[in-house]
Amino acid sequence: MAALLRLENVSKRFGGIVALNQVNMEIQYGEFVGIVGPNGSGKTTLFNVINGVYFPDEGRVLFEDRDISRLPTHRRASIGLGRTFQIPRPFASATVRENVAVGAMFGSRGKETNVNESMLVAESIIERMGLSRHRDKKAELLTPVEKKLMEIARALAMKPKLLLMDEAMAGMHPGEIDRLVELLGGVAAEEEVAIVAMVEHVMRAVVGMAQKIIVLHQGEKICDAPAQEALNDPKVIECYLGYTPEEAS
Amino acid sequence: MMRTLDKYAAIFPVLVVYAVLFLLGLNMSGMWQLMATLLFYCALGQAFNIFLGMTGYVDFGYVAFVGMGTYGMAVTITSLAGTGLGGLTIIAGYIMALAFSGLLSLAVGAVALRLRGAYFAIATIGVNEGLRFLIEGTNLWGGSGGIIFTRQLNDILGKDASSALATFWADVLVLIIAVLAAITTIVYMRSKIGYALTALREDEDAAKVMGINVTMFKILAFMTSACFAGLLGATAWALKTPYVFPPEVFEIHYTIEAIIIVMLGGAGTLLGPVAGGLIYGIGKYVLSIVLPGFQLLIFAPLIIIIIVAFPDGVVGGIRNKFGHTALGRFIL
Amino acid sequence: MFGEQLLSNLAQGIVLGCVYGVATMGLSLIFGVLKVVNVGHGAFIMVGCFVTLFFFNSLGMSPFVAIPAAFLLGLGIGYVFYYSAIRRLLKAPELSTLLATFYMGVILQEVVKLIYGSEYRGFRWKVGSLSLGFTSLPMAKLYAALGSIAVALILYAWFRKTRAGTAMRAVVEDDEGARVCGVNVGGVYAMSFALGIGLTVASGVMLAMFLPVGINPYMGAEYTLKAFVIAVLGGLASPYGAFFGGLIFGIIENGSYTFLAAIPGVEPFGMTRFLSFAMLLIILLIRPTGLLRAK
Repeated sequence: MAALLRLENVSKRFGGIVALNQVNMEIQYGEFVGIVGPNGSGKTTLFNVINGVYFPDEGRVLFEDRDISRLPTHRRASIGLGRTFQIPRPFASATVRENVAVGAMFGSRGKETNVNESMLVAESIIERMGLSRHRDKKAELLTPVEKKLMEIARALAMKPKLLLMDEAMAGMHPGEIDRLVELLGGVAAEEEVAIVAMVEHVMRAVVGMAQKIIVLHQGEKICDAPAQEALNDPKVIECYLGYTPEEAS
Repeated sequence: MMRTLDKYAAIFPVLVVYAVLFLLGLNMSGMWQLMATLLFYCALGQAFNIFLGMTGYVDFGYVAFVGMGTYGMAVTITSLAGTGLGGLTIIAGYIMALAFSGLLSLAVGAVALRLRGAYFAIATIGVNEGLRFLIEGTNLWGGSGGIIFTRQLNDILGKDASSALATFWADVLVLIIAVLAAITTIVYMRSKIGYALTALREDEDAAKVMGINVTMFKILAFMTSACFAGLLGATAWALKTPYVFPPEVFEIHYTIEAIIIVMLGGAGTLLGPVAGGLIYGIGKYVLSIVLPGFQLLIFAPLIIIIIVAFPDGVVGGIRNKFGHTALGRFIL
Repeated sequence: MFGEQLLSNLAQGIVLGCVYGVATMGLSLIFGVLKVVNVGHGAFIMVGCFVTLFFFNSLGMSPFVAIPAAFLLGLGIGYVFYYSAIRRLLKAPELSTLLATFYMGVILQEVVKLIYGSEYRGFRWKVGSLSLGFTSLPMAKLYAALGSIAVALILYAWFRKTRAGTAMRAVVEDDEGARVCGVNVGGVYAMSFALGIGLTVASGVMLAMFLPVGINPYMGAEYTLKAFVIAVLGGLASPYGAFFGGLIFGIIENGSYTFLAAIPGVEPFGMTRFLSFAMLLIILLIRPTGLLRAK
């Protein structure tokens, strides 16, 4: 079977700065991939190119063998590309249920899902994420961690084939991270969602779960290998020198 | 059936207010003009709310759409006056009014809705003023001399009918437009359109990521709102007072009035524009009687105080308090 | 004949453009720092015109004395409006500040109407005129232009040389960053608003020299709209951009009049204004950061 997502020689420049340089990569159906790189390594730009916030200057982005390099963001969402943000961006004045329902209403199954059905979809996902008691709360009243969970719920309601998660675990304590990883693992297997999680540190949680780790450094892919292998890659260690020990060991 | 009723329950208070205004005007002598004015304010707020309230974009040139509707009706009446079409002319006038305001909003929306915040507000002021000076500068539709079509309207409908139109039926038409705008609002709010607009109002980029075609929904709200403005112009400004002058129908103060009405009541709520229309209309009326000539001096600081004290408007404030109670569903 | 007319209009445009420029700097300053669009802008200019009127007609003093007086009055009004309303609205949706500033303008307009009534007034400051060969420029207008340039230069120096000016520039670039660096951002907001209003009222003194019979409480609206066009020309958030925007606007407004007046069937007064708003829209769409700003 062809890859779910394929990047071919993707480059993106801002003025004189090369944010992404000839990046190639593949994500398979249902795969869990960790994208690792320090600040400024091009991770966010990579997400924005996959997601349609930017169009690549060179190269192509293929989703299920279809060239989506120039497709607007909302169209990408409707063919199965979901995303969460580093700092959650809830629709503040709407309730949690309404927020999540928006995902169902306009995501990949949006065309055949009406408002009432979307509400039902939302309720079941909210329950799954353990947010049921906040269902009718305004999203702006949630705690930061709850907002994160709600945003993941909202993205899952879109029924994506690929979910890009931007620093999903930042700001959570280890117990919460474990719970979230377990939850995601379950959902990913069940719904066949491929998850690409972007993290700044090589985290235990990500390594434990990821089938594959991609390391970016100054806009270039320096490693693309199974998790354990990536951790021992000398290039990765070099780029993380003085950075990894407490997490990686 | 119960479910549908429940879903649209929020419209009943709006309809009740409209009915009360109408009946008060009809049955109390000397009250008709005041009630008609209040209905006009409510309708204007209701129409503007569909865009301003639901998308959060500030259109500072909204009055241009009212003005274009006025011109649509005026141009139709003057050019069809001799043809003997009678009442059909009025219908043609409405079609023209819709075409004028609808096309203008499509053109403006397609380009200007890419701008956000203050830039959009300034661009729309530019459209409003630009249009006015285009008409004056090129002597289009009578240029700065405007169009006076009292005589043509008399020819078409007869003197009695056209005076009945000005003093009564035009106001009834305004009421109908207000009701239609309220229905449109609740239908939008309860459908995917409402969710899309809420999402893009809160966070446009996040809305795109959810799969929402934000440009399309913004233009939809913009055009809907503009078309109602056009209908209002054709009715309250053309049929009721059969003349049109550029500086008058593009006067920025009307946009401000519309914004205040939406804001006072609570932007993005269904009942808000009605509450705002009543508060504003009655306030203005009372001040003009109590302190003629000083209304604005009192009104201006009062409005600033209200904006500071009730940032979500009156209905918005109440909704924040009672949003989760049984009462809440009537306020939306 | 046409050439002479054009040159004469261009000269007028340059002189008036300097005044336009200084009359827009306050708008840009306030937008740059607070992200607030002052929709009542023109009313503050109007107040400046009446201050001049008061100094010239009632006190018999030179309009130059009115400049610092108008500035101080504006500073005071600015602080009052900032602390009574604007400060509380900074976190509210744009709608709130747009309405609030509009009604601040209305308050001023109504207060002035209460004192002076609503008829048109004005004055002529007879200080001779300068002959340029093809036309002659009244010295009063020339002084107004020089005064405008002086005010712009003082502001420039103030921005560069003083601590407060530096703090203000820091806030324009990045208010969070400035806060972290120990800048009292709240204080900078207040000062910028007051300074912006002070500048605007002071610019009214300069503008008054161009309006021998055109001063009345409602004159502001026209200048609000012009200021928007000018500010957009120069990049909405840049006071210096605004000054040059004013110059360009003055030249285009007056220069195009000559051409438009030559086209039959066109009403040149309306058409110059149409052109300015067409310009506004085009710039907003293709270059929202203004004509003068490098990307």
